[in-house]
Amino acid sequence: MSAIISSSFSPQHAHDASVTPVQRAAAISIRHLSKTYPIPLARLKKIFRRKTTNPVEALRDVSFEVREGEIFGLIGRNGAGKTSLTKIIATLVQPTSGSVVVQGFDSVSNEQDVRAQLGLATAEERSFYWRLTIEQNLTFFARLYGLTDRASQASIGDLLTRLELEPLARRRFGELSTGNKQRVAVARAMLSSPSILLLDEPTRSLDPLAAARTRSLIKSLARDAGKPVTVLLTSHNLTEIEELCDRVAVISRGTIRALDTPEHLRDLHRSTERVRLSLRGLSHKQARTALSQVFEEFELSGDEETLGVQFTRAVNDDLLDSAIHALQSSGGRILACDAERATLLDVLEKYEHEHDAEEGKQQ
Amino acid sequence: MNRVGIFLGRMRAFIVRDFQLALSYRIQFLFRALEVLFFVTTLFFISKIFTGGAVTTYTQWSNPLAAWITGLAVLNYFMTGFSSFANAIRQEQAQGTLEGVLMTPVSIPTFIISSSAYDFVQATVYSSLYLLFGWLFFDVRFQGNFLLAFLFLIITTLVLASIGILSASFAMVFKRGDPFGILLATSSTLFSGVFFPTQLLNEYGGRAFGTISRFLPPTYGLDGIRRVLIQGQGFNEVREPLFTLLLFLAILMPFSFWVFSRAVRRAKREGSLIQY
Repeated sequence: MSAIISSSFSPQHAHDASVTPVQRAAAISIRHLSKTYPIPLARLKKIFRRKTTNPVEALRDVSFEVREGEIFGLIGRNGAGKTSLTKIIATLVQPTSGSVVVQGFDSVSNEQDVRAQLGLATAEERSFYWRLTIEQNLTFFARLYGLTDRASQASIGDLLTRLELEPLARRRFGELSTGNKQRVAVARAMLSSPSILLLDEPTRSLDPLAAARTRSLIKSLARDAGKPVTVLLTSHNLTEIEELCDRVAVISRGTIRALDTPEHLRDLHRSTERVRLSLRGLSHKQARTALSQVFEEFELSGDEETLGVQFTRAVNDDLLDSAIHALQSSGGRILACDAERATLLDVLEKYEHEHDAEEGKQQ
Repeated sequence: MNRVGIFLGRMRAFIVRDFQLALSYRIQFLFRALEVLFFVTTLFFISKIFTGGAVTTYTQWSNPLAAWITGLAVLNYFMTGFSSFANAIRQEQAQGTLEGVLMTPVSIPTFIISSSAYDFVQATVYSSLYLLFGWLFFDVRFQGNFLLAFLFLIITTLVLASIGILSASFAMVFKRGDPFGILLATSSTLFSGVFFPTQLLNEYGGRAFGTISRFLPPTYGLDGIRRVLIQGQGFNEVREPLFTLLLFLAILMPFSFWVFSRAVRRAKREGSLIQY
């Protein structure tokens, strides 16, 4: 199943802060994209009768769009096809069929134009020159982006400040901690102020504070009213995806299994949730009497000091309002309310199980 | 900025980067310069064995030291021509920096040419050191039209660069092993007349053996440069090796670009562009 929301292209909305990302024009448009990695030198191997493995199908008929200024999450297990998809968008790998259009440029026929729109930050530390300083590394890449010396100095200065790397500017890349190396990767991706950022686990090695600041930076870039940056984020940190992304695609074994907002995805995959209320000022008997007017199945625990109520409800129904109202009307004071809802992990697990079941049937 | 400006800007970026990387190994340059000096000195003493000998049969070799250091200076340049492109790809692949570079709007030909630019700067310095040490310490005199010698150097380097592009294509698809580089490096020293006159190949190895040297572009490059710098010959006298080199260039240059574009396409299809 691939839930694709068709784009409503309206150029006048492209940089209009009043419209939500979902209403904006497509920044990345992926159509029927498939990728099968051929066996290297297959013909030669056949001639010499060497054993060959089967070609690897990494992506199958993938279609979706990422809108301007949207933070779009891509989740899936290892080997699901996330990296192949990112590399095809980044023009590093050619698709077998289908197309990727980035800001109007085709990733195969206009690859340099595509790359001019993109910034890629991966968790790969080796993609820098370890014997050069942060400043020298960033200056080199800025020049490759075609920035003048003045523009690159300004951009590097700004990024080093924003990413709190200024005191380390003259340190060799190889001497940095893993977290700082990752921040340099984010800085490099942003050097040319690209309109699209491809971020592969941007906070993987960061400490909690630095990770929170990076998330905040990503958010601020996408919400920039003047020039919103589109972000395609792949991560195994599902909490981060839920916090940041406007929409999320679940990719499993090369196909997009679902695509929606994190809230909708969660709701789609669990219709009920367990609610826990903590309250004060009512005895067991009083609470039972009050709640019996609203529903029949609930559990009470604790004492009069702190009474606990637990019940199951359908997501987004009125039961929670009614329960709180009944308890408060009887003189109770609500101390806390906690709902155990589905997470993206549940969503991911569900699709993996579905896929396993489908494959089982086919065999 | 126009396209040439952008290209030159990017080439400068690569040269500065490699210079900065070289600076991080400061002592390397000093050792390499000393190596050249020691080698030229050794050749000077070997050349003394032949003083008053029969080497005059081969006019370019009347002063063996001059012939050797010209040969080595030029060979150093030629080797850079055909090995630096493949090395550039291999090095970036091995370091893991290729992905970062190829994510910028740099075309692959620009990347390959620019990333080997510093090698040519270095080759110019070390080749000049051979000639400089010969002139400064061992009284080796060069004559003739330096511009014409330079023309030979450029054309031969371009021919070898075309073979270098074939070699880079091989590196891109097969990652390791470089039949062009190995073949040319080993055969050039033996067959192109770096250390002895190519006529000796005919005399001692037979006609077929001697013919091999005629298929190697460095033979014509070296011959042309020595004719100009040692024998003082002019354009009319060196037309033959010059036109032979131009013929090599006309065939090899377009062929190597065609092979290269196919290699890039193949690597992208296989997803192995940045793999080592």
